[in-house]
Amino acid sequence: MKNTFVRKISTALVTLGLVAGPALADGQVNILTWEGYADASFIKQFETESGCKVSATYVGSNDDFAPKLAAGGNVYDIITPSLDTTYTMVDAGFVEPLDTSKITEWNNIYEKFRKSAGINKDGVTYGMPYAWGAIAFMYRVDKFPTPPTSIADLWNEQYKGKVSLWDDKSAIYVAARLEGNTNIYELNDAQIEQAKQKLIAQKPLIRKYWATAGELVDLYVAGEVWISNTWAGYQSAQIKAKGIDVKEFIPKENAEGWLDSWMIVKDTPNKDCVYKFLNMQSSELGQCGVANVNGYSAANPVAAKKCMKPEQYDALHQDDPAYLDSLMLWRNLGERLEAYTNAWNAVKAAN
Amino acid sequence: MKGFRLDRLPGLAVLSAPLVWAVLFLFIPYLIIFTYSFWLKKYPTFIPAFQFGNYAQIFADPQYYQVLLRTGKIALMVTALSLLLAYPFAYFLVFKVKSSRVRSLLYMAVIAPLWVSYLLRAYIWKTILGSEGVLNSFLVWTGILSAPTDLLLYNQFSMVVTLTYIFIPFMVMPIFTALEKIPRNLVEAAGDLGVTPWGALAKVIWPLSLPGVIAGATFTFCLTFGDFIAPMLVGGPDGVMIANVITSQYGAALNWPLGSALAVVLLIIVLIIIELSDRLQRKDRIGLG
Repeated sequence: MKNTFVRKISTALVTLGLVAGPALADGQVNILTWEGYADASFIKQFETESGCKVSATYVGSNDDFAPKLAAGGNVYDIITPSLDTTYTMVDAGFVEPLDTSKITEWNNIYEKFRKSAGINKDGVTYGMPYAWGAIAFMYRVDKFPTPPTSIADLWNEQYKGKVSLWDDKSAIYVAARLEGNTNIYELNDAQIEQAKQKLIAQKPLIRKYWATAGELVDLYVAGEVWISNTWAGYQSAQIKAKGIDVKEFIPKENAEGWLDSWMIVKDTPNKDCVYKFLNMQSSELGQCGVANVNGYSAANPVAAKKCMKPEQYDALHQDDPAYLDSLMLWRNLGERLEAYTNAWNAVKAAN
Repeated sequence: MKGFRLDRLPGLAVLSAPLVWAVLFLFIPYLIIFTYSFWLKKYPTFIPAFQFGNYAQIFADPQYYQVLLRTGKIALMVTALSLLLAYPFAYFLVFKVKSSRVRSLLYMAVIAPLWVSYLLRAYIWKTILGSEGVLNSFLVWTGILSAPTDLLLYNQFSMVVTLTYIFIPFMVMPIFTALEKIPRNLVEAAGDLGVTPWGALAKVIWPLSLPGVIAGATFTFCLTFGDFIAPMLVGGPDGVMIANVITSQYGAALNWPLGSALAVVLLIIVLIIIELSDRLQRKDRIGLG
């Protein structure tokens, strides 16, 4: 009797497997990414043309990728960490080498990006550069008769209770620059401590640290925040669309630059769809998709030129990748990451 | 085989499901967390080890006990405020409301929000307390304030208000039950013996309702102590609580060992509180028996 029971269960499981199997193999790609990178405006077309169903989960910070992948379970097929996190993904063994020969547009991507240290290890490439931009600052036009020009304006008593900062280790970069330490990715313990104290001193002025793109938009729209840092291009457009006039600026202490790359999670079963997806994202559809939805610059200028108006191409610095050099491009912090996140946590914990 | 009887099988079967559940989803996860708490953070992730560094760090770095103290303070404030609101309310329901229909209606009014999503209930307070929120608009409209105030939202005040609103049913329920069980003739006897109504409340009703108060306070305190949504939604830069720190150790900091050690500390604190409350309640019963 026991045997028949076991047999029944196994038959049921096998049947389930047969039924579920083809449905899964029909094509899907599960991505862990930033808001906007899987926007319906261009993903719908991809789904119809490729037969691959896209499901997206969003992160609010680069520090969200590793924990989600460390939890295991093969939930995600591809991810889009920024240049400060890509190398950690490789080191931790979360991602697998990229077969660049399967990506038609590969050679059209800025060479500087393709060769960047963050996505290459021992001659093997692990990431496909996708979009880039600046961590600019932003203010409400109606609240600032004289436009702010410095990070110091986020420490100005006059705007007490109207300041916001990204809930991310990059807050340390911001405070370090204000202290005159421009080596923001190689800070020593004393400099990190200095930045930490600066941020603690700023706390009474802070309305709220923003954790997701949408949260900052809500804070501006609800009249809670007048000045903050921002993912240039993205949030300002959404806030303006809701009737609040904001303006971005690069402070005299400069801004950080970022570059996001698609990386394939190790042992994904959905390789076919993954490469179809990467080909779409590096072509006109994906490159102009992200430029139009997020206001970010594209990594493939050849594709971008074909689908952008000259003004947009210009505004996004597409013919001028040296612009990115002028920004302080994010870097992997390696073992120092802990010191930075620890300091940032201490700021948030402080009274 | 002594004591094993076939007719006990159904009983065992009924008991085994919750037992398996408790072992699989409570006991084993606790063990895993306990094990992790001795591991070591090492770039890029963390490695198995047996060392007490994580616990040492919790006690050496002021940021952790600062947050623990703040969490305790907020939990105490929520508990006190809930008690202040819930006790008179429950007393009113049990002793003053004559119609049982009105009583159950008012009781349900407090309990009903439990059926609404926690997130939604916390979120609602943003629209009430915000700079351009309902309350501020009202205060400006009536002329009480000349300009909207920032003091209502994104600070510890808004956290205490929100958490009190969310957890107050857990205070009302046990107090209501305790008050309802008090024999009315005891209160009448107190009156016959010349005790004033306030005296009866202090000498008869309050002592007899203490088990309910203790149960309610324990619920409210422990639930608040482990909360991490309210600080995220309505808390400000000074609103980080211990559960948020644990979340960030499991998330951004990718330091599961330290996060686990913090979780173990949190668990021990909550267990101590439950044990204390249990002893208090037992002591009470004996004292009145």
